[in-house]
Amino acid sequence: MSNADIALMAHLMRRAGFGASRDELEQRVNRGYANVVEDLLNPGAANAMPDDLIRRFHSDMAEMRELNSAGAYWMYRMVTTENPLEEKLALFWHSLFATGYSKLNQARALMNQIETFRRHALGDFRTMLIELSKDPAMIIWLDNNDNHKGDINENYGRELLELFSMGIGNYTEDDIKECARAFTGWTLGNVEYMSTRASRDSIWPYSRIAWHFEYRDYDHDDGEKTFLGQTGNFNGDDIVDIIVQQDATARFISTRLFQFFAADHVDDAGAAVISDMMATYFSSGYEIRAVLRTLFNSDYFKSNDARFARVKGPVELVVGAVRMAGTYQQPTFGADQLARHTMYMGQGIFQPPSVEGWHEGAEWIDSGALVERVNFVGKELGDPGNPGVQAIINRLARQADGPLSPDAQVDACVDLLGPLELRDSTRTSLSEFAAEQGPADLRADQRTDADEQRIANLLRLLTATREYQLA
Amino acid sequence: MTTTAAVSAGPVEYIKTVGLTTNQSGRGFINPYDCAFASDGRILVLSHCDTARASLVRVGMLNWDEDYLGEFSPGYGRSTGQWMLPVAIALDRQQNLYVTDEHQHRITVFDLAGNFLRQWGEPGTEPGQMRAPSGIAINDDDVVHVVEQGNNRVQQFTTDGESLGTWGQAGSAPGEFNMPWGIGLDTAANVYVADWRNDRIQKFTPSGEHLSTIGTSGSGPGQLSRPSGVCVDSDGYIYVSDWGNERVQLFNANGEFIQTLRGQATLSKWAQDFMSVNPDESNTRQMANLVPNLPPHYDTPYLVSSQTEPYFWGPVSVRLDADERLFVVESNRHRIQIYQRRQQ
Repeated sequence: MSNADIALMAHLMRRAGFGASRDELEQRVNRGYANVVEDLLNPGAANAMPDDLIRRFHSDMAEMRELNSAGAYWMYRMVTTENPLEEKLALFWHSLFATGYSKLNQARALMNQIETFRRHALGDFRTMLIELSKDPAMIIWLDNNDNHKGDINENYGRELLELFSMGIGNYTEDDIKECARAFTGWTLGNVEYMSTRASRDSIWPYSRIAWHFEYRDYDHDDGEKTFLGQTGNFNGDDIVDIIVQQDATARFISTRLFQFFAADHVDDAGAAVISDMMATYFSSGYEIRAVLRTLFNSDYFKSNDARFARVKGPVELVVGAVRMAGTYQQPTFGADQLARHTMYMGQGIFQPPSVEGWHEGAEWIDSGALVERVNFVGKELGDPGNPGVQAIINRLARQADGPLSPDAQVDACVDLLGPLELRDSTRTSLSEFAAEQGPADLRADQRTDADEQRIANLLRLLTATREYQLA
Repeated sequence: MTTTAAVSAGPVEYIKTVGLTTNQSGRGFINPYDCAFASDGRILVLSHCDTARASLVRVGMLNWDEDYLGEFSPGYGRSTGQWMLPVAIALDRQQNLYVTDEHQHRITVFDLAGNFLRQWGEPGTEPGQMRAPSGIAINDDDVVHVVEQGNNRVQQFTTDGESLGTWGQAGSAPGEFNMPWGIGLDTAANVYVADWRNDRIQKFTPSGEHLSTIGTSGSGPGQLSRPSGVCVDSDGYIYVSDWGNERVQLFNANGEFIQTLRGQATLSKWAQDFMSVNPDESNTRQMANLVPNLPPHYDTPYLVSSQTEPYFWGPVSVRLDADERLFVVESNRHRIQIYQRRQQ
């Protein structure tokens, strides 16, 4: 297989997943690019870390009362799943339909919302929006529990149109009011008790009681409504039917998917891909799987221009490093720190800064966040005792017929950690560092701890480069 | 979905619930994992504690009337006597309390005033060493039985920590284990082990010869999913905390299924006290249906229990007091539901 094939597959797996080891890349290249896209879009069993092991080892994740417990639980899944696109999409929906712990005080409701995203991640957008409208965390987050017949609360209706489907400028204030009327009666079971507990952050008497959706017919405004030019006795699902038929909705969701999976910025070539994605959106019956298929198979996505055109988000970065290092494959003492680290980098899981979610791209990087990023990843990939680092060393050892020169070490690490595309200045710095360390003899009968550490040191330094921060 | 009946017909009846969630020291439990019964009537409850409240790890004490009698703890940490992930407790004939710590691979011993007496254990596979000790039981001859989930075996000790022998190894054949958890003894000192990841209870002679097996994998009557605890009453009835199915099952001495309990918690005395001073919660609670019909995607016992407060959620341990009342210790609900078998 060619280096170009490996580089293309590495690009796909960085975007549709969290990166991949060289062994995995080679297996996927043998499957062929188009087949791998289909594998990702049609996931089988995740084979992630089993829930029973997690819940036995981590009583906090069993109860899932705490913010970081829920975050770490999800990260276990991201780290160990065989369906990385499923989790990457759940992360996408979590950012798009941003819902935060600060108001809910219910980590389990947020984790249940992620499960809903996972369940509908690749299906049709209509179903996703209906399930979102029934999601207990979203109902509390945007106050639909206070949206009553004859006394509407517009919050959910407004954000459904502005942030979740069409974007501002494509509807009127009257449309918002009519939308809100249609969603009256969409609330939680035992909403009076649950709202009281949520507002008081009550864990008494016997810890949290998770929430579920309830439709209250007597509280639904069944009167006539006019929404986006159509008139009828609309309920919430009728409103969603109208929303998903709009060009604005097709453009909105296609653009957001493009920016998350392809490039932070949309140039002319990217705009053409978005047009193709919009066409697929309608021809497929609003199916996200089909829209992504169009994106991943586009010449634009596969081109060199699209590579390293996104800044890795903190969760992508942490999960990618842990997967590469091979750590956290079993329940691990202190795993809640995983969630804390992404928060320190600016992306606390279940803690979006606002209902708009996170501002991505270059805004992920500031001096404080960069130090956190470099320190975390450097620790994971700079330890030769970690299984993934050991696998890299062993791979180099199998290819070695003598001591690896400093330049050969740099070439190998750049290749196996990506392959990355380095600027000349970065390459020079790495070569100088490697030269100071000297050759590394990785042959089984010659290898010392110092030889292994030289490779690990180079990997650690590579993770501090600008290039490694890009996906 | 329509939730299942709280309890199937059978001889075991609900009595009451004790406990209350708390975030601090004092009255209440934090992820209780096990309980034991002192001869003076004190009920000892081990709060395992989650990550956020690890420093509050302790043994709390109450009596049958739910008077809070205090607590003791050596503190959270690695120093002598301290706990990190305590799992189970048991009393010997001298009323000293033995605590397993699965993270530190050791047993610590205290008197009931909370004074540290001794400890033993280090990670390893040799006799006297341990890996991740979980369940513990002490027979009338003061033989200490420790279940090692990491070594897939049972190890017997003297009360001073001298190893008397081991049995078991990793596997699924009779006498083998897959991450065993709880342990119980009958009046003849036979040993029952909750063979957690093999979804079964195994019965052994006091010296470790395999006698019988109860349960197969599943969620039907008599089937088990990740059983975590087991105890046996004087008539030979076997109570199993069917942790993965979020229920308790009763078997007769022949291992035949008798009854399923799904949980039916009511307000404990401490919970009633909380409600009496929080009328807004009390009033809205009275309007609520705490056993609701749930949407169909809440399709596992675990998810149903997370939404149905009276049901067992995380029933880690089952223990019988001197009057053979059954205490079901629920980690996720921070309480203990108490039942008793009706004499027939």
